Amino acid sequence: MEERGSLADGARLAARGVVYLVVGGVALVAIVTVGSVLGPMFALDLATPAMAAWWTVFTSIAVQAMPFLLLGTAVSAGIGAFVPERVFSRVLPKKPAFAVPVAGAAGVVLPGCECASVPVADSLMRRGVAPAAALAFLLSAPAINPVVLVATSIAFPGNPAMVGARLVASLGTAVVMGWLWVRFGKEEWLPQRRTTGKGTSPTGWRGFRDGLQHDFLHAGGFLVLGAAAAATFNILVPRSVLDLFTDSPWLSVLLLAVLAVVLCVCSEADAFVAASLTGFSPTARLAFMVVGPMVDLKLFALQAGTFGRAFAIRFSSVTWVVAVASSVGVGWWLL
Amino acid sequence: MRFRTQGVLLLLCGAALLRVSLFSELYLRYVKEGLRPYLIISGVLLVVLGVLGLVRRENGDGGRRDHGDDDHGHEGEDGHEDHHGHDHSRSPRIAWLLAAPALALILYPPPALGSYSAEREEAKVAAQGVGTFPKLPAGDPVELTLNSFASRAQWDSGASMKGRTLRLTGFVTKDDDGRWYVARLFVNCCAADAAPLKVQVRGAKAPARDTWVTVTGTWHRTGTPGSDEARPVLNATSVRRVDQPSNPYEKR
Repeated sequence: MEERGSLADGARLAARGVVYLVVGGVALVAIVTVGSVLGPMFALDLATPAMAAWWTVFTSIAVQAMPFLLLGTAVSAGIGAFVPERVFSRVLPKKPAFAVPVAGAAGVVLPGCECASVPVADSLMRRGVAPAAALAFLLSAPAINPVVLVATSIAFPGNPAMVGARLVASLGTAVVMGWLWVRFGKEEWLPQRRTTGKGTSPTGWRGFRDGLQHDFLHAGGFLVLGAAAAATFNILVPRSVLDLFTDSPWLSVLLLAVLAVVLCVCSEADAFVAASLTGFSPTARLAFMVVGPMVDLKLFALQAGTFGRAFAIRFSSVTWVVAVASSVGVGWWLL
Repeated sequence: MRFRTQGVLLLLCGAALLRVSLFSELYLRYVKEGLRPYLIISGVLLVVLGVLGLVRRENGDGGRRDHGDDDHGHEGEDGHEDHHGHDHSRSPRIAWLLAAPALALILYPPPALGSYSAEREEAKVAAQGVGTFPKLPAGDPVELTLNSFASRAQWDSGASMKGRTLRLTGFVTKDDDGRWYVARLFVNCCAADAAPLKVQVRGAKAPARDTWVTVTGTWHRTGTPGSDEARPVLNATSVRRVDQPSNPYEKR
């Protein structure tokens, strides 16, 4: 009996071995064949200057954003793990309509670019902050923090009006968007994960680490997606195309507002890019700097990942319109 | 995706950042010098997080503590739909995309942008208005950045470069009319916003595209400062091949 048992076992083992060998062998042969056929083609593609430039732009956006993304996810994980809900309910006014401007102005304290603000806004919502207020914070933080304002004043030397206009137009857009959400926003556009009492997620260091790990990987994946889109536009659309449109003031505002979306320049650097776009009206450049930190491809990808695509489409398109309107208004007033 | 794969991904990202910022100066191909400390801090942090994630998984295979995690994971699937999206024991497949730039940086760091990007765009010198410039520093030849050469060529009513021997360093680009330029890209924040600076070289045969050269020569005046004719042009006396500098982009 025993012998037969071990014999059967042996046969089974041998059969399994053969199966593994065949399947694995076929897979290996397939991989090697495909690799050796496509490999040179792929390498050739990499070697073409356009493809190499794509990879460089793609990786540099990712490298540039990593520290800021990590900062943002660390802050958001910290909020999730260490800051009790009652802190926010005490600090922020009860009525969302009043909480919106407070949260918008609070954007001053997060010194980072837009990659950092999405996870933070998400964790604020999880902590029971009214979505309208969290969204106002999301929009204002990357545009009005001191690092960005200092960069703007360096990029436009002797033109403090530009810094002021950027501050006013960005804050205005953020607050208006918050109020629009209070009036028209629907809870079901956001993913259903309102805070449900205690004990659902671990707090303390463990919760911090879990949250950081999860949020970083999640947001990082979407960031890479956005970086790929931005690099593609960067390679496909030469910036000299812009010079064709500098004549009409209206068209140039719209053009730079679209450009801000597709170029995905970090909010800490967009002032320098705007300054280099000579030939455009100050209002058009202001629109570039107001729209950029609020709506762009990588930000859209991050928002779609965090809040869902349905939300991201609605929110980004309305934000774009409000941001353009606000920069035209402020530009006409201040510049 | 479980903790182990999360750990591997974090480790990969951290290793990629450290490879380009701590163990080499490759990061200069992608971002500005000032970002280095932040890249190193981020890299160390990601490596630590990744190792913690890996170690925890391995310890926890039989341990009680980790079952808590698994239960936590099931909770999300079973009843508590409202908790969806915040279940930390698994993260979405999108995170795999992070492997692309990380592996690229580790295995095949993309090259710095070169003539392909420089030739696609008009070189632009910031409009600053005509005026006199400060005297060039002493020395023969004087090392100049392409930006200072171009802005002096275009806006300097004092002709401060006249009669001086100048030296420029950059890579070679060409245009359709057979002219060649010594060029460099100017980066504000990361390579995505690179803008070209070019100085036309006369009196020397053009090396191959993307060759790094140091060109010595004198300024060639093409028109009155401030006019469209005033372009940056150098009469070369010598063209020497050099290695690509560790920071391939124009210094501010």
